[in-house]
Amino acid sequence: MSGFDQNAAAALTSRADAQIWLEAFRDLNRQQWLASHWPDRKTEAWKYTPLTPLAQGDYLRFPTAGKVQIERARYDIPGLDCQRLVFVNGEMMPELCQLSPAREACCVTRFCDADEQQQALITQHLGKIAEATDNPFVALNGSWLEDGVLLQVAADQRIEEPLHIVHMTTPDQQAFSVRQRLLVALDSGAEATVIEHFTSDEARQNSFVTGVSEFKLAAGARLTHYRLHLEEEHNIHIGGVYAQLDRDAHIDSFFLGLGSRLTRLDLRIQHQGAGSHAQLNGIYLSKGTQHIDIHSTVEHEMPQGSTSEVVRGIVDDEAKAVFNGRIHIHPNAQKTLAELSNRNLLLTNTAEVYTKPELEIYADDVRCAHGATVSQIEDLSLYYLQSRGIDRKEAQVMLSFGFINELIGALRHEPLQRLLRPILTQWFGKDSGLTRHLL
Amino acid sequence: MLSIVDLHVRVEGKDILNGLSLEVQAGEVHAIMGPNGSGKSTLGYVLSGREGYEVVSGSATFEGHNLFELDAETRARAGLFLAFQYPVEIPGVSNMEFLKASVDAVREHQGLPPYDAVTFMKLARQQSASVSLPPEFLKRGVNEGFSGGEKKRNEILQMMLLEPKLAILDETDSGLDIDALQVVAEGVNARRSDENAFILVTHYQRLLDYIVPDFVHVLANGRIVKSGGKELALELEEKGYAWLEPEVA
Amino acid sequence: MPDQINAYLDSDYEAGFVTDVEADTLPPGLNEDVIRFISSKKSEPEWLLEWRLKAWRDWLKMDEPRWAHVQHEPIDFNSISYYSSPKSLEDRPKSLDEVDPELLRTYEKLGIPLHEQATLAGVAVDVVFDSVSVATTFKDKLLEAGVLFCPISEAVHLYPELIQKYLGSVVPRRDNFYAALNSAVFSDGSFVYIPKGVRCPMELSTYFRINEANTGQFERTLIIADEDSHVSYLEGCTAPMRDENQLHAAVVELVALKGAQIKYSTVQNWYPGDKNGMGGIYNFVTKRGVCHERAKISWTQVETGSAITWKYPSVILRGDHSVGEFYSVALTNNFQQADTGTKMIHMGKNTRSTIISKGISAGKSQNAYRGLVRMNPRAEGARNYTQCDSLLIGDRCGAHTFPYIESKNASAVVEHEATTSKVSEDQLFLCQQRGIDPEKAVSMIVNGFCKEVFKELPMEFAVEAGKLLEVSLEGAVG
Repeated sequence: MSGFDQNAAAALTSRADAQIWLEAFRDLNRQQWLASHWPDRKTEAWKYTPLTPLAQGDYLRFPTAGKVQIERARYDIPGLDCQRLVFVNGEMMPELCQLSPAREACCVTRFCDADEQQQALITQHLGKIAEATDNPFVALNGSWLEDGVLLQVAADQRIEEPLHIVHMTTPDQQAFSVRQRLLVALDSGAEATVIEHFTSDEARQNSFVTGVSEFKLAAGARLTHYRLHLEEEHNIHIGGVYAQLDRDAHIDSFFLGLGSRLTRLDLRIQHQGAGSHAQLNGIYLSKGTQHIDIHSTVEHEMPQGSTSEVVRGIVDDEAKAVFNGRIHIHPNAQKTLAELSNRNLLLTNTAEVYTKPELEIYADDVRCAHGATVSQIEDLSLYYLQSRGIDRKEAQVMLSFGFINELIGALRHEPLQRLLRPILTQWFGKDSGLTRHLL
Repeated sequence: MLSIVDLHVRVEGKDILNGLSLEVQAGEVHAIMGPNGSGKSTLGYVLSGREGYEVVSGSATFEGHNLFELDAETRARAGLFLAFQYPVEIPGVSNMEFLKASVDAVREHQGLPPYDAVTFMKLARQQSASVSLPPEFLKRGVNEGFSGGEKKRNEILQMMLLEPKLAILDETDSGLDIDALQVVAEGVNARRSDENAFILVTHYQRLLDYIVPDFVHVLANGRIVKSGGKELALELEEKGYAWLEPEVA
Repeated sequence: MPDQINAYLDSDYEAGFVTDVEADTLPPGLNEDVIRFISSKKSEPEWLLEWRLKAWRDWLKMDEPRWAHVQHEPIDFNSISYYSSPKSLEDRPKSLDEVDPELLRTYEKLGIPLHEQATLAGVAVDVVFDSVSVATTFKDKLLEAGVLFCPISEAVHLYPELIQKYLGSVVPRRDNFYAALNSAVFSDGSFVYIPKGVRCPMELSTYFRINEANTGQFERTLIIADEDSHVSYLEGCTAPMRDENQLHAAVVELVALKGAQIKYSTVQNWYPGDKNGMGGIYNFVTKRGVCHERAKISWTQVETGSAITWKYPSVILRGDHSVGEFYSVALTNNFQQADTGTKMIHMGKNTRSTIISKGISAGKSQNAYRGLVRMNPRAEGARNYTQCDSLLIGDRCGAHTFPYIESKNASAVVEHEATTSKVSEDQLFLCQQRGIDPEKAVSMIVNGFCKEVFKELPMEFAVEAGKLLEVSLEGAVG
């Protein structure tokens, strides 16, 4: 078989013994996937993102499990006290995991290990936050679902140590698909931190990864969330993060996308209770012939909510970046405050940026604003650095780095800042001389 | 050290400097005064190599180099420093990395090895203390959220670290309270020597109480219309620029 | 919403009346014969008939666009009559005195007495009454300057080489569904040519009116400004009340050759439907200009009418150093829907564009800004600045912003900002407390909100625009 065939994708099933209790869910998603229209240029949400790399790829198989050697440096976040789950090509690596003993306050479990109560919780929320009808790739992810990770935090419990979930790929003989699913359910007043860390070894990758995460935040719950896409550039990733916030809940989410052949990330936050707050920051970087597409949607369904979204992108070489940032204020969502800023640096005349900040507003007593810019580095800043003796090229790199470093500096967990800065520096490092002063 | 001969400069199609000539020798401090719009800031920008300043005719030679053949960073490395009237904010680029990058660049030009990180950090802390800039300002983005006075101190800090031969201070005194003014003056006075020179571009004579110039020049309509000793500044303070009207006109 | 504001909102459409003129109207329906009929009625040359027929064949293969943020029942294109001309015009009036007095009274009721306006404001008025031009004034004065200003149906005969060269050159025959329909059945419209280096001695103006029941209007306007020339063109539209929706699908093409400047101003006050959402005009318009080197095109629009507005006056900045501007006020009330904005396509170096859009939504209306700014790889040093502001009046309306930004040049700078605000009860209370009645207060606030756009309108139009806004706002404010 070659090429990504819609029917074959639906027919592709997991192991025969895969969680019978999820069969109904898979069925529903399979039907939805088959019924959905393969996105093309006329599909508004995919207008600038051709699925050619996926369509032409031969990804319709799941990897054969095999022992792989993974260096700790590929997934470790030095200085971070955390619970850790490590998956390689979708397979959990128990020896690399690091979990606290199960306790009532907080439970981390795989869907396949879920007890009856947990199964009930999973069934209650799974596919209700990220719905199969939202996006064909959510349906595809669901139709392939055999396992996933559940994080459940009981009411009023503050979990200090982050849950660090590493999704790593390593090339297989033949191209393959990897599916991931995460469900986070925070009970009222609960607090937690989740780091979704997509990475790979340095070899040329040949996988299609689909990672879908669903967050349910009950009243007053607080979630700090990081989604890091640090895979080697030959991977394809199509995934999404979907969150529902009840009254006074609070999400602080950050994503970093280091481009690949095709990266598409859908982020959706639904404010379903009054007074909830979302801080959504993100960085995308795209170079070579990479293509990255970020679609974010914020739904304010109830009054007095607030959203602040700051997304920055840098696009180099012949790469493309797409950002679509939608804020939707429902008729009931009076007194909402929502702001979105998307700034882009375009470094060459062969790179392309497509940005569309959208406002759709049905309530009058709201304050909403968005701004988007595409430009190059400001002349005055360049001149200031040059007038201090710094080489123009180096100054350009320093300023580009500064442009995104502002958001890195705002990350709540310092070990993540320390992890990401060298990775970003490397991104600019065509010539190490140009990055020697970064950090 | 610096020799400007009959310099004509145009900005956005407008003639700003109209035949300015000035000689600065090592060891000298020159003050350039003049009314608004006389071309004072343009002088600093054109000498330091800002884009958009078109040299129509005339020359500027610095330490034997034709300045206008060098790009901005090379002029800086050769020892020409401009303290900006409005220092630029660069969020995301920390002051420390900025300072180290520029000091390393200048040292490399002089054939010196870069400082190691620890030594430089020490040096930067020391110097920032000498301009009364608390050490946390080294960690913040360049000038990001600094007050006017803090920005000017940061300029002086850069000057101290880069150790230029010629420093042009563009209205560094404007908007400063008396404490900050003293800090700036101490910085300049500490660097005064037989090898260094300064051009102080200023609107008021106040700064000259603290940094006593060897020469005072009046700039009007893009030319120097009067030169004299430090007394000229006092005279200007007393009478304003109007009495120079014939020359100005 | 306070009661007095509701009362303000409930006022009737002032321009709602029907002129009783005998018309020569084609029965509803669209087929090849209809197109041949239209073409032969106008004694068009063979090439133009062919052009229309090609457009019609293209149109048959096209689908109605569905991406706009508007909702309406499917349009039955066979229930529309594609030709109507007032009968008394078989013999053309030679002067204003010969114009049907009924027609002149129509304009007087609208508060725009033709001759008065013409003389007072020095405006030459080319009146389109349904589909045929009935009067053109100041022709001599314009001819003296070498300016050609006449109905496009005449221009086809008088200046065939200009028409053949430029018709469809900016908006191609099959550009979009409605443009294709227009190309097939266009009735009449204005033609303007300004010769090299000429500054048009007066503002050119046309008032469009849809009059005959169930007649679609398919104007076609073509303005050519030759090198280094300058023209300001005003377009105003009102329509009498009808219960059934009427389709209006106009095409306007502007060509600004090297160094030329075209300023195109529109005040659109077609019938918006009643306060229950019955009736009203469907205004599906394609307006586009092309700028050659150093040329400038400026669109200013005040859109207060129509049940549905679908309109994106655009500029293709083909030449280096050319400039495009779009200033827009779009006001929707009751059940009106507007999806309007602009496209700025930067192709040349150092091209500049400015977009200022002010959307005001009231009642149960939906008002969307949709724009595209595209920086092509060759657009070195190009700049765009866009500011989109929405004002919501009442809590049952919608205000939306869909700006598409596509940049392929590193030295180009695109900046987009959008905000929303409302007329708050605090603001109203403050005004009332200072003795200003709510109607006046709202009108003041809205006028202030629109100031940046109004100042772009020619003087004599700015006054009318303000008045129209006030009338449309009646009852709209909360």
